[in-house]
Amino acid sequence: MIKKSMLLREIVTNRMLFLMLIPTVAFFVVNNYLPMVGIYYAFTRFDFNKSLFDSDFVGFQNFEFLWRSGILTRLTLNTLGYNAAFIILGNIAAIVLAVLVNELKLKWFKKLSQSIMFLPYFISFVILSVIVYNIFNYESGFLNTLLKGWNMNPVDVYSTPWVWVPLLIFFYLWKNLGYSMVIYLAAITGISDEYYEAAKIDGANIFQRIRYITIPMLKSTFVVLLLFALGSIMKGQFDLFYQLIGNNGMLYNATDILDTYVYRSLKVTFDIGMASAAGFYQSLFGFALVMTVNAIIRKINEDYALF
Amino acid sequence: MKIKEEKYSGLFKWIAYAVVTFSTILCLLPFLLIISASFTRNDTLVREGYRLWPGKLSFEGYEMIFKFPDQVLRAYGVTSLTTIAGTLLGLFFITMAGYVLQRKDFRYRNVFAFIIYFTTLFGGGLVPWYILFTKYLKLTNTYTVLIFPGLMTPFLIILMKNFIRSAVPEEVTESAKIDGAGDFRIYSRIVLQLSMPGIATVGLFLALGYWNDWLLSSLFINHADLYQLQYYLYNVINTVSFMASMGGNGVSLGGDIPTETMKMSMAIIATGPILLLYPFVQRYFVKGLTIGAVKG
Amino acid sequence: MSHKKKALALSVGALTLASALSACSGGNDNTSAPSASSASSAAAPSEPSASASSASAAPAGIDTSKHVTLQFYMLGDAPKDLDVIQAEVNKMAEAELNATIKFNFTTWTDWDQKYKLLLSSGQQVDLLYTAEWTQFQVYANSGAFLALDDLLPQAAPKLQAFVPADMWDAVKVKGKIYTVPSTYKEYVTNGFVYREDLREKYDLPVPKDLASMEAYLDGIKKNESAMMPLAIDSVTDNLVYPLRELTDDTVGAKLPYGIGIKYHSPGEVYSYWGSEEQASDLQLIRRWAEKGLFPKNVLNQKEIAGDLVVNGKAAALLGDNPTRFNEYNTKMQSLHPDWKLGYTPYAEVRGFATPVHPIHNGFAIPKSSDNPERALAFYEKLVTDKRYNQLTEYGIEGKNYTVENGYYKMVGDSSSNGFPREGMQGWAWRNPEYMLFDQGYDGVKAIFDELDKVAKPDLFTGFAEDYSTYQPERAALEQVEKQYFYPLYAGLLPDIQKGIDTAMAKAKQAGLEKIQESYKQQWLAYTADAGIK
Repeated sequence: MIKKSMLLREIVTNRMLFLMLIPTVAFFVVNNYLPMVGIYYAFTRFDFNKSLFDSDFVGFQNFEFLWRSGILTRLTLNTLGYNAAFIILGNIAAIVLAVLVNELKLKWFKKLSQSIMFLPYFISFVILSVIVYNIFNYESGFLNTLLKGWNMNPVDVYSTPWVWVPLLIFFYLWKNLGYSMVIYLAAITGISDEYYEAAKIDGANIFQRIRYITIPMLKSTFVVLLLFALGSIMKGQFDLFYQLIGNNGMLYNATDILDTYVYRSLKVTFDIGMASAAGFYQSLFGFALVMTVNAIIRKINEDYALF
Repeated sequence: MKIKEEKYSGLFKWIAYAVVTFSTILCLLPFLLIISASFTRNDTLVREGYRLWPGKLSFEGYEMIFKFPDQVLRAYGVTSLTTIAGTLLGLFFITMAGYVLQRKDFRYRNVFAFIIYFTTLFGGGLVPWYILFTKYLKLTNTYTVLIFPGLMTPFLIILMKNFIRSAVPEEVTESAKIDGAGDFRIYSRIVLQLSMPGIATVGLFLALGYWNDWLLSSLFINHADLYQLQYYLYNVINTVSFMASMGGNGVSLGGDIPTETMKMSMAIIATGPILLLYPFVQRYFVKGLTIGAVKG
Repeated sequence: MSHKKKALALSVGALTLASALSACSGGNDNTSAPSASSASSAAAPSEPSASASSASAAPAGIDTSKHVTLQFYMLGDAPKDLDVIQAEVNKMAEAELNATIKFNFTTWTDWDQKYKLLLSSGQQVDLLYTAEWTQFQVYANSGAFLALDDLLPQAAPKLQAFVPADMWDAVKVKGKIYTVPSTYKEYVTNGFVYREDLREKYDLPVPKDLASMEAYLDGIKKNESAMMPLAIDSVTDNLVYPLRELTDDTVGAKLPYGIGIKYHSPGEVYSYWGSEEQASDLQLIRRWAEKGLFPKNVLNQKEIAGDLVVNGKAAALLGDNPTRFNEYNTKMQSLHPDWKLGYTPYAEVRGFATPVHPIHNGFAIPKSSDNPERALAFYEKLVTDKRYNQLTEYGIEGKNYTVENGYYKMVGDSSSNGFPREGMQGWAWRNPEYMLFDQGYDGVKAIFDELDKVAKPDLFTGFAEDYSTYQPERAALEQVEKQYFYPLYAGLLPDIQKGIDTAMAKAKQAGLEKIQESYKQQWLAYTADAGIK
């Protein structure tokens, strides 16, 4: 009762703010919340002759294919591991480059380098896989041609699983650097010059200014990026793995993630129930992780928490 | 003291230039490889692989794509329209939402933030979404379906919220309020002007999303006049590789299609125009712009 | 036991649908209840004489008083001039069937996903292309299509008479007809494809069995060091499957789950995986790999095998069909007039060739169709009425094509012509009586004529597997094959027996035995049912 009147009062006093939120809320209701009924597919047997809610309830049967192969743990660990590396190294690289680019004095170089670092974002993984094959393939690859030229033994990269761990991480960073750097650049642009002036007067050198002003000011941006990345920590980057590794089972122990496994399984079956089940498993994981991390952040500094 | 400061600056400058130059080259090389490949004859490419400089110049990849120039140009038109309309509309909604969510005196800001964020965690999957848009909303073959789903992402809204919070000091909003300005007026007159770097960034990302999209065309459009550029190009390749991989049916490709070269040409064609946008956005990444605005 | 249960569930499903349909159709009498319960048996070639009347008369059996719009779905891209053709078709269809046809195309981008969406979203689809590679048997089994048995004599008697009874029998799934098969007979059987000019140049043997093929490839390796002798883009499609056809007498090219069934003893089902047979096949692959007859990193090779041959990067394909061979040859000669391809059908090794199974091309009416009768009546026109047929296969005569000496001739070229030959992918409604061929196709027809002499029926494609009871195991096994068998398929592992042992252990863990056993039972039931011995 009290709560209700509070909401009402809030709506009356801040009606303009509510009004400004309406398009956004409407958007998410239509585009995201309405289709969420589909989560129920995960627990039913799909039937062409019945509607979703008339279909037979089968409990967790659709989830069986996930653990049936006995590699769910490894897939989960691989997925978590790669994503953790992407998040940590990706953010470090983006911050470092954003800070460095920001300090460049040559205007044309500053602009040009930013633009160029954005280029990989446009190169699809399909095309990247072609280039990578041309570099690493055993007989005629660029790398082995070079090695043979130096009288060294050729290497068989495509049969060496561990090499792909750093390689995949590298290609991820390479492709997304421009994109995430822009976010940090914009954030740095937003930092008031007055801080830097004051620090200069206090005799702080450039390393100290970065350490004590720039980096702390980027914290909130980092937290946003982190929480969004954590939410999808069990998903994503399917194309990277699928295109670069593809059917090469030799590498799977080091490179197979949940998305590629689910994709291959469903390509032969494409069962809506199984697809929903896999999605649900991934979501639950992300959800738990995000709630925990958000709660921790909230304890440290409420301003940085997402909600 | 002064000397030490300059020594550090000098060192830092060198590091900065070295690292940035190195990264730039790393990003540029593969792109040059693609440009070169796009101008190489297909059979040369298949036989001899990729080079930084094309042996014999050939435009067959581009010729193949522009075989039906009116179709490509129309696809450009559709993509340009959806990109511009979607970005502007999306920016309007996102900035409003971002502004409201960062208002500390807005009691339910966390509730709404959660409602928005929650959608990144859970989703109903493709099928119900598809059914909703085709069967209930009847949006097949419309511009609406090409624009609507890309209007907002939770990420961009929260990012915007953060940009606004750091760019617009609370005192500014407070003093405007005391002067009797309404919430929407504060938003449109003050907040928007102070948040230009944020708006430019979010706008860039929105535009990239629209520009690169092919899924919406693929699912909801079966009229060639409404294909987006990326889908048009992507589909050409898919057609070729399907024809090649499928056995029988007496399928004829109707002449030779320079698959590999064409892939590369497409990458270039699809990248080109959006790169023109970036320098425009960069203008807003200049320090002092925002501060000046606040003082003025 | 479980079979019975399923049949029951199925008929209940059909009933609910039938009632749902009649509820929706608002008094329209077009629900000719596809009742699973009435179980109309066997083919019913009902009096074709009745329908041999004039082509333009409205079919007698159905009510065409209400105007309807039919949603026609085909895979692939729409031809540029689709609107023109569609308007022409509709001029006739509106007058004769009181129906407007909307031709829709999925494009080839993610077509399999869209196919699934079309069927599972419940949107109106009146006619949809089917083939074994679009998983017709699976969808028919799971109730996505309407049974046509009762509908055919009523809505399309002429079509029913036109398609031979044995073809109707062949496409049946669980005793019911779900698709209208194409009657055009062609061969998509494999054969060796090789560079004939290089063979002559280095005086190599003609590849006509595995031994001569190997000798040929060795010769290429020796003389053309920059070339890869064998082109492979998929180790299964380009290597293991064709190889098994030659060495193991397989009943179908793509037997799943490591199952082995021989064409000449279809009653015996064994596990190919882990068998002596497999070990010897894999040894051959390993030998070829060690000799460098195909690239080491073949699992990551993405360029299309045919392209590699046409562009001169590779010399041969282990197996491909006559039509595609012809196409490669034409393409190659337009680029390099002095190069030439040779072809040896596998029939020379195996002693027989199987023409395509009727399931290979067809059209079905999905459950979501609003107007099944009109749809079928229209499809009858498409197949049996020359005006509809040639218009939708070749376009408008004079504008898109001309007929010279009985041959099809395209007007202009593929970039200027808005409707090339079979521009709507009209494979399924080809009518042999009305078909026009390009002169360049004569070579293929000559091969077909040769194969006709040794033709034997396809025993495999008619089998409709029902994997609903081992779906999770199936997914797990798919992973095992990719992870543990593919390296063997690519000849990457030096110790073959050890490789097989590991793979088999993993496969058993994933449920191989359960799958194979169930598959075997289903297969034996099918062969008994179809009288295959």
